[in-house]
Amino acid sequence: MINPKRAALLTGTACIAAGLALASTPAQAQKRGGNLIYANVSAVGTMDPHVAAAVVDLESIHHVYEGLVEMGEDYSATPMLASKIDISPDGRVFTFTLRKGVKFSNGKEMTAADVIASFERYKRVSPNAPALGDVASMETPDPYTFVIKLNKPNSLFVEVMKTPTYSFSIIPAELKDKPARELDIVATGPYQVGEWQRDSHLLLRRFEGYSQDTAAAGPNGYAGKKTAYLDSVRYNSVPEANTRVAALQSGGADFIGALPGDVAKRLKGRTDLQVLSVIPFCQATFITHAKNPPMSTNRSLRQAIAALVDTEEMMEAAGQVWEANPSLMFKPSYYHSNVGEPWYNLHSVDKAKALLKQGGYAGEKIVLETNNNYAYMRDSSQVLVEQMKKAGINVELKMVDWTTNVGDLSKGTGGWNMTITGLCSGPLLGPQQWRLSLAFAQNPDDPVVTEGYAKIFATTDPAERKKIWMGIEKYFTEEGYMMKVADIADLRGMNNKFAGIKPYYMQRFWDVWVK
Amino acid sequence: MKILRRLALRIGQAVPVILVVAVLSFFIMHLLPGDPAAVIAGPEAGAEAVERIRRQLGLDRSIPEQLAVWLFHLAQGDFGRSIILNQPVLTALSERLPVTLSLTLVSFAITIPIGILLGVAAAKCRHTWIDSAVMFLALIGVSIPGFWIAILSVLLFSVNLGWLPASGYVPLAEGVWPWFLALIQPAAMLALFQIGFLARMARSATLDVLDQDYIRTARAKGVSEWQTIAKHAFRNTLIPVVTATGIILSLLVGGSVVIEQVFALPGVGRLIVQAILTRDYPMVQGTLLALAFIFVGINLLVDIIYTWVDPRVRYG
Repeated sequence: MINPKRAALLTGTACIAAGLALASTPAQAQKRGGNLIYANVSAVGTMDPHVAAAVVDLESIHHVYEGLVEMGEDYSATPMLASKIDISPDGRVFTFTLRKGVKFSNGKEMTAADVIASFERYKRVSPNAPALGDVASMETPDPYTFVIKLNKPNSLFVEVMKTPTYSFSIIPAELKDKPARELDIVATGPYQVGEWQRDSHLLLRRFEGYSQDTAAAGPNGYAGKKTAYLDSVRYNSVPEANTRVAALQSGGADFIGALPGDVAKRLKGRTDLQVLSVIPFCQATFITHAKNPPMSTNRSLRQAIAALVDTEEMMEAAGQVWEANPSLMFKPSYYHSNVGEPWYNLHSVDKAKALLKQGGYAGEKIVLETNNNYAYMRDSSQVLVEQMKKAGINVELKMVDWTTNVGDLSKGTGGWNMTITGLCSGPLLGPQQWRLSLAFAQNPDDPVVTEGYAKIFATTDPAERKKIWMGIEKYFTEEGYMMKVADIADLRGMNNKFAGIKPYYMQRFWDVWVK
Repeated sequence: MKILRRLALRIGQAVPVILVVAVLSFFIMHLLPGDPAAVIAGPEAGAEAVERIRRQLGLDRSIPEQLAVWLFHLAQGDFGRSIILNQPVLTALSERLPVTLSLTLVSFAITIPIGILLGVAAAKCRHTWIDSAVMFLALIGVSIPGFWIAILSVLLFSVNLGWLPASGYVPLAEGVWPWFLALIQPAAMLALFQIGFLARMARSATLDVLDQDYIRTARAKGVSEWQTIAKHAFRNTLIPVVTATGIILSLLVGGSVVIEQVFALPGVGRLIVQAILTRDYPMVQGTLLALAFIFVGINLLVDIIYTWVDPRVRYG
């Protein structure tokens, strides 16, 4: 259920759920030309696809770069630069047949030599290099065939390759020795970089030599037959939300991102503008540090805190558009289930007190680290702290900035017992994408995770794979390592003079044109 | 010669100041919690990936070692390389300095005449409604938070009236008028606080001078009131006003941090905010150092102007 109060903000505007069936655009004459200005909260920081992780970077990167496979409209792995993918019955050998005649923006044709060079660079520079840890060999039997052999079966290997974060993009072979974040921007996508002032703006211009995937019927997520109608797309960094909205209202921007719910109200009544709501976008989740006592050593204490989570109160406090969902996977996902239900949104102080008593909690201090950059993280934490105090828990709220919070989260530093974050790509793309985020609990060697993942990768039966994932999810929620709050939306604003814009996890501007 | 010696002395005095700024900025940044490697790796990266980036950036070395390396490069004129922007600090600064200088100069050009005029008018019309009105406006100017009045201004002039762009910068090379249109709103907002400050300062300085004997003598000789102020009083109010002007110029550079953020101007202020948020150590250290140079330069300029407006400084 979408919170009715917040959804009312969007009255008179479009509120469309991404990942669900998308309304088809009415037949309109597509035409080339026009420019679009996209104002977002921060600037494009890197255009190196093998290391980029911020959504702002990835949105522009995927207009310029392409991989062998990309996310489709339904977020499944879909061939892009590969025309065909053959997987051996034992799940160890993956043969990619490349599309012929695909040109890089420097005019050179892409071949298997470029593909193998890209994977070699990926292994060297990407934070996600462990994803290729089981690769035994890579071969190019002919210029249009690329073969990867694995040490052990991995039925999700192609799914791993669709990741938009740390994208497996193909670059020309001559760039393979470039250090991380120092890559020259030469790629096969529908746009190419025109001008880039770091921390200010990035201008993408249409790549006139773009090689469309003519075998596809039309655009399909980040794959398919893409057509760049717009002459250019300019990404402007406008950190202040009020200024972004003002820019949209006054014509200084055509599309804006990261729109706070209360600021979105200002667009009400403007028939030339609309708000897009992408939900689910991320999920707000509390995470327990599995190595910092007392929470790491007291299961009942973790469960007691999990029993206090009050989804509605937290999301209302944050003014967030949200949707209740007990699962660590988004609802459209094949892996979505209700295994998290018994520990979801219980908001029960009595249950918490009983569990505290059962676990022999003796007033040890709990540090809840949060940040003041994201309202839903800050406000959810403040609500939980009050609930914890009501239940008699000695809690300290540690407010830091996002940079500190994310560093402490990934490294386990900062002395926190629990923290909160927004998980976005894992719940959308499946268990293979979740693996990095599960390590946030600071226990990557937990046998439930390592053995579970070994089985997930080994099985070729999707139903069996889902069952194993459900076991992992049950373990994380029941043990109180992950306390799910809600699925939350990302609001965006746009000018209605553009056609073809569909809300998607990360915004696309190909197959978009001026009406 | 005396002037040159005095300037050389001031430059010599600036060297330890710059050095202290360099060392302090280094330690302040490294004392902050947070890790640029975690920012680069992204929120989904594990500890191992973050550690690998730390090694690549040299952040795994001890703090004294990092300081020594940085100072060694600094002594050779190398401000280092931005961890996040992945470009030399000096290149990043040179790209953004024109924006901040444009903003500061336009704002300065608004502040000085209006601030002095209001202050002198208030002094001349002491205890009248004009004096009260000017002082009330000055009080509002120095009291209202800059970011709040800036957002209100955007709503009025950009959204409701549609007269001015809400955000962004147009380089001077693309035309004086578009450049001016992009800058006038942020510059005016930046000037508001300083106008209030300068008006109060100018009023006070003018009142002091108007009580002097030579002013009374001028009046007794039948010199008109405005001529008395313009010819005899104004020049003598200049010393405190020049001092205030130097401070204002520094404050404008400092105030640009907030205004550039609100109006999305890609200047030095926004650069340093982003660098602090992402713990881009070399960028913050380099920018603070550059700002220290600018402030030292402004103070030198004020010293030179003193010698022009007050012969006692020249010959004393």
